[in-house]
Formats: sequence, C-alpha cells, structure tokens
Amino acid sequence: MAKREERRLTGNVFQIGRGAQCQIHLPDTRVALVHARLVLGEHGSVIEADRHRIVYNDREVSGAELRVGDHIEIGPYVLSVETAPPGVALAIAVRVSKRVSTSGTRALYRALLRGPRLSKRRLSYLVFFGVLVLCLAAPIADRLAGDGSTLTRALALGAMQAWNPGPLSRAHAVFGRDCQSCHVRPFVAVAAEDCLGCHRSIRAHGPKEAFRAVSFAAGADLTCMQCHHEHQGGVMASRSPQICAQCHGGARPVAAGAQPIKATDFASDHPGFRLALVDPARPGALRRVAQRDASGAPPQEQSNLKFNHTLHLDPRGVRGPREARTALNCASCHEPGEGGSRMRPVSMERHCARCHSLQFEPGSAARQVPHGSLEQVRTMLREFYARSVLADAPAAQNARGVERVRPGAVVSPEERREAARLADEKASRALRELLETRKVCSTCHYVGRTARGDWQIAPVAISASWMPGASFDHARHATEPCITCHEVRSSRRAEDIAMPDIARCRDCHGGAAATPPKVASDCASCHRFHGGSSAWRELAHAPE
Amino acid sequence: MRHQDSILEYRAGFYLKLALAACLAAVAVFATHAPATRQAYGASALGYTLGTIAALLVLWLMALGVRKRGYRSRLGTVQGWTSAHVYLGASLLVIATLHTGFEFGWNVHTLSYVLMLLVIASGALGVYAYLRYPVLMTKNMADETLEALVLKIADLDRKCRRLALDLPDEVNAIVARGTRSAAREARIGGSLRRQLAGDAVACPTRAAAAELVALGGRYKGEQAALHGQLVSAMARKSVLTDRVRRDLRYRALMHVWLYAHVPLAFALVAALIAHVVSVFYFR
Repeated sequence: MAKREERRLTGNVFQIGRGAQCQIHLPDTRVALVHARLVLGEHGSVIEADRHRIVYNDREVSGAELRVGDHIEIGPYVLSVETAPPGVALAIAVRVSKRVSTSGTRALYRALLRGPRLSKRRLSYLVFFGVLVLCLAAPIADRLAGDGSTLTRALALGAMQAWNPGPLSRAHAVFGRDCQSCHVRPFVAVAAEDCLGCHRSIRAHGPKEAFRAVSFAAGADLTCMQCHHEHQGGVMASRSPQICAQCHGGARPVAAGAQPIKATDFASDHPGFRLALVDPARPGALRRVAQRDASGAPPQEQSNLKFNHTLHLDPRGVRGPREARTALNCASCHEPGEGGSRMRPVSMERHCARCHSLQFEPGSAARQVPHGSLEQVRTMLREFYARSVLADAPAAQNARGVERVRPGAVVSPEERREAARLADEKASRALRELLETRKVCSTCHYVGRTARGDWQIAPVAISASWMPGASFDHARHATEPCITCHEVRSSRRAEDIAMPDIARCRDCHGGAAATPPKVASDCASCHRFHGGSSAWRELAHAPE
Repeated sequence: MRHQDSILEYRAGFYLKLALAACLAAVAVFATHAPATRQAYGASALGYTLGTIAALLVLWLMALGVRKRGYRSRLGTVQGWTSAHVYLGASLLVIATLHTGFEFGWNVHTLSYVLMLLVIASGALGVYAYLRYPVLMTKNMADETLEALVLKIADLDRKCRRLALDLPDEVNAIVARGTRSAAREARIGGSLRRQLAGDAVACPTRAAAAELVALGGRYKGEQAALHGQLVSAMARKSVLTDRVRRDLRYRALMHVWLYAHVPLAFALVAALIAHVVSVFYFR
C-alpha cells in the first residue's frame, strides 16, 4: 500500500482541478483548471461538474450526491468517499487510477508484442487441411460414391474433375467421367490389354516374334502409351518423327533379322526407295529392290509381258483395226481405283481388246478366243470348230431325214469321229496361227514350248503395288500431270520401271519442319504405323 | 567466419552455382529427351524423375522451418540453409516447369504448380525484405534501441503534461490528445495494418504539435515561455514516435511476407500430396 497523506480542509465549497487555486489539486493534463466543485450542505454533500466530464460510480454524470463508498473518476484520479471520522463532514481519498497508466511504457510494449490475431501456424493448418479436403478427400469421395446415393454424388459432384490432368481426346470424350473405362485397376498403370479390349482389330506394327528380341523401351513391351498420350485433347496419335526415331534412328536394330534402316527426316535422313517386285520364279513372294543398284543401273521388272509406252503414247495416235488413228493418253489404260488413291490394274478386256483383237477365224470376225489360259483357248476353239464342222456336214443338212431314221443317232460313229478329227485339226491350226504364225498372243506375251513340246505362255508377274509401305494417294496429287512422276514417254520395254525416286518426291516434300514452298512431311505423311497392307508387313522382313 | 555475407553471397554463391547447374542439367536433359514426343509431362520417365526431384526439394525446403528453430542443431548454419533455401527454391521454377511439360489445366496438378509459383514469389519478397530493411532499420534507429526511444517518449509525455498544467485548458486539451498516444495502447504499433502504415498514420502527437504551434503568440510572460518549451517537447516527441513507427513498420515488413509464404507452402504440400496420390491412383 502506498503511503497515505491526510489533509484537512475547511469550508463549504471546494474546487477540484488542475489550477493552483483549487483546494483539491489534481495535477494532470486530463484534468481541467477547475474541473468540478464539492458542495457540503446540511443534508449531505454534492459534487457538481464544471462543464467537464466526471464519472460517478462508473456512470458519466454532471453532478451527484455523495455517499460513503461512492467513487468519482476525474481524469486519471479516483476520488472515493470514505467513512468520515468524528467531527468531519466528508472524507475523500484521492488516488491515481490503475486503469489509466501514466508511464505508458508498459502499454507501448504490450502494443508492440501484439501480433495479428490469425497466427501463421493456424493459417497454415487451415489451408493445408483445406486443400487436402478439396483436392484429395472430395475426389476420393466422388470416386467411392460412384453411382451411390444422390446426396454423396451431389456433394462431391465434379470433384473428380480436379484430378483430370487434361481433356480427353476427341475419340475418348464419350467416356466422360467414367475413369475406370481405361483405368481399370487403381494404382496399376493402363496397359495395352486395356486398350485392346475395345481396339480388337488394330494391327500390330510387325510380327510379334520380330520385336521380341528388340524391346522397344527399357525392356518393356511395346505399349500403346509410348505413342498415344491421353488427356491432351485432340487426337491421341502422335505424328512426331521422334517417336519413330526411337527405333528408326539407326541407334539399334529395327527388329530381329530386319535390315537396319535409318530414317529420321524425309528431307535429310531417309534412305532411297525400294521397290517391291514379284519374282516370277517364286510366285507370291516379293522382293525388295533398290531403285538404283550398286552400278547405278535401274532395276528391271520381269513381268513376262511386252509393252511399249512410246508406241502407245505416239502423239499422232495409234491405228486400231476399225478406226483411224486414235491418240492415247495415260488415262486410256490407267484408271483410278476405288477412292482414287491407287490405280486399277490394267485389264486386257477393258483397255487392250479394242485394238488387240483375239479373233481367230477370218470368216467369223465377231468371234474371239477368251483372254485366258491356253487350255481355255484350246477348248473354245475345239468347241467352235466342232460345231462348225457339224454344221457343214451333209447329214445335218437333211434334218428331216435324220429324224426319221432314229432319234439321237444323227450321224454315224464314223462320221462323228471324222468330224471330231476335222474340228481338232482346225482348232490346232487356229491355235498355231494365234501363237505362232499370226503372232497374236506373242504381241504381248512370251510364247514358248515345254520340254514335251506343248505350247507355253510365260506366267505374268506384275507388281500390284510398287511401294506397299507408302500410303500414296493419287487423288491428292491430281493437280500434277502423270509424267511429273512417271516418265514413260521414252520407255520401249515392259521391263522399265517408271516409279519416281526419292529425289522426285523431295522436289515438293520437305522434312517435318519444312516451310513453304516445301510441303512439311513427317513419317506419318506416307507411313502407317499399324501395318498398312499385309504385303508390306511381310516385306519389312523380306530379303533384298 | 564471414558474418557480413548476405544469404545471397553465402560461400561465394555456392548454392547459386548449384541451383544453376541443376537448372541447366534439367534443361539439357529435357531438350535432348523430351521435345515433340509429347512425353515431356509427368507420365514419362523424364517427367517422373523431374517430379521426384522437385517433390523432394519441396520437402527439404519445408525443413528450413524446422532447422531454423533447432538452435542446438549442428547440421550446417541457418545462414547456409537459408542461402540454399533461396537458390534451390528458385531452381524449382525451372525443374517443376519442365516437369509440367507445359501442360496446364483446371486441376490439382496445375494448382500445385501455381501454389509453388506463389510460394516462390512470396519468398522473393522475403529475400528483398531481408536485404533491404535491416539496413533501413539501422539507419532509422541511429545507435538507439527501441526501448530507449520508448522511454524517451514517456519522459517527453510527462514533461509535456507537467508544462501544460500551468497553461489554459485549451492547451491542456491539446496536450491530453497528444500524449494520450503513449499513455494508451494501440497508437504506436497495434494491428498489422497500422504497423505496416508506419509513420503514414494520422499521428495525434504530430497533430498536437501543429495545434500548439498555431496557438503561439497568444500567451505572454511566463506562459509564453512555458508554451515555447511545450511546443519543442511535443515536436521532439513527434519525431521520436515517427521513428518508432518506422522501426515497427520495418519489423512488420520483415515478417509480413511470411504470412503468405508459410501458409502457401503448406497449401503446396497438401496439393502435392493430392497430385501424387491422384497420378498414381490413375496411372
């Protein structure tokens, strides 16, 4: 307890204030010169404020009657009414309030140390668990809810979207929120089998055995995901040459037993084309041949046909049997096939027969042998001449008499044998004329004889597709004349091959990064990963 | 030991070189392995590698909060840790960006990335604060301590009030308003907003000093002398309170960025957990 000092004042009215004239002197700036008056009356004492603020028992008043126990606040001071000793009208204790510190230092420090209400730690916990709930718990709840209660679904609706790393490709957009369509097992990577569940008819890049020895990436099997990346919108198939270069970059063998081919860029790093030739000695087997051999000579096709492009494309025209000269062009024989990408095979009946007649009997100009096997021709000739001989027979002319003799026995067996012999002789003569004398067949075919002396036509072996590995589209190149790529005007032999070489393609096509006027062309511009034609897939491992 | 080195120049920028080397290596590997195959993002071997490195880096960066409180730890100096924290944290800009493979969307994956960017940005503010404000604080305090200043202010308060006692009520009212600042809390310092405002707040002391000056010439004799002393005391107090406020402002600026940096870092870790779980759940 602080030291207490007592003073006795006499009088009826006492001034309270800062001023020196005040009987109750309260030296503080917050106290007015004359702040209040204390008036002692006969019935009690009263305090009156002098235009200033006093607080009486915690209430702001302008004046009040004083009783023992009351306290009045003036500025930092508290005046308490105490029990007066005998002979004294009023006892008042004056002290400085603890509630209003005068030093200020402590209050200032309190202010300095006070941080923001939300601490870093609390804020961190808040956002940590907030993000976990929104980004982890909600999607898992969404996933677990599945087709469960509508409430659960409504609460977590779309939360799974937060996990979606990107939009699905156009083809897979139909799966929408059904992640399990592809992600069959949690925490197990999507495997090729998961894709093949739907993509049953997709072709492999090559025979599986061929790749077994050559693992595609880090010892793993060739998986769909190495080239097809989902959740990137658009299309999943990548056209990036770098993907092909993983194997066709020359760093490692393409496949077990296959030729090492390095092809990373069409313009700068692509081997010369190789042609697929049919081997007449081994029907059905293809052979891959470079467009220029070691000596620079072009390969020859052994098709066993004769054809002279120069003759047929004579600008003055060619002479047909019935009409005057007709000028032929490429389209006279080479017609676009279905879809326009490839040409239909040239057909004797459609393209050659108008001029190259197979007539055999001058008397019957309308009749021609079929364009088929020698056996078919011989049979047709025999049938023709048999009928012809029978029609010429005397008995046949007397039809009524014959009927009278015996139905079914038109001619005698002797006559029949004679007619057959005659017909065969005529047929053989006609055949010989076709094959040898008149050289009808040998106009286009190589005609020879077997060891036994039978006629023989060398089997025709024409390439159905010169470059089965390339997906060339004639329709998309229709603005160019044929001879830009197929220069046949000086070709006099069927052995000539008029396929353009890579230099010709490069006249227009650049690499993947080519800029106009070159056409940017990546691997996929010409090649199909998933196996194009089966012929090519066999060829990929065919010997040179 | 070279105490004067800033965290940026610690050990001649050893961690700067380390971070630059890491960035260059990441860029080189990315350039040779990733382009155009569209395998660059997380789902490739390169993506997993970059992602793992980035995630481990984040966890280690978080560990600074533990290390700086471990006063007994002998695991390097806090200065070294902070230097590494700054540079390796900044290297995430390159490593994590390559990890994304530049694939962004409205999902937890990009959320993690954006949070990481925000953490790094707030960290950059912190580096700026650590480099700039200590210098300004020293200059502001000019060999005095905050405590000494506060005591001086309290003394001036008392002096002002004593001088005012013999002056008229109008002066007293002004002095009461002007000195209440120190007598009552929250006029210096206080809320974060007030602390950041520094000496730009409406200062009662400054206002009181101006008002007292305006009253000049009204008094004569002894009162005029007292008034003169009062004006000078109040003006000195105004200067001191402004200095205290500036000091508090610098102290606040030194720490306020942490209110973004630390919670954002925790948000980042949460988002990373969601990111990692989700990519392995749906592999």
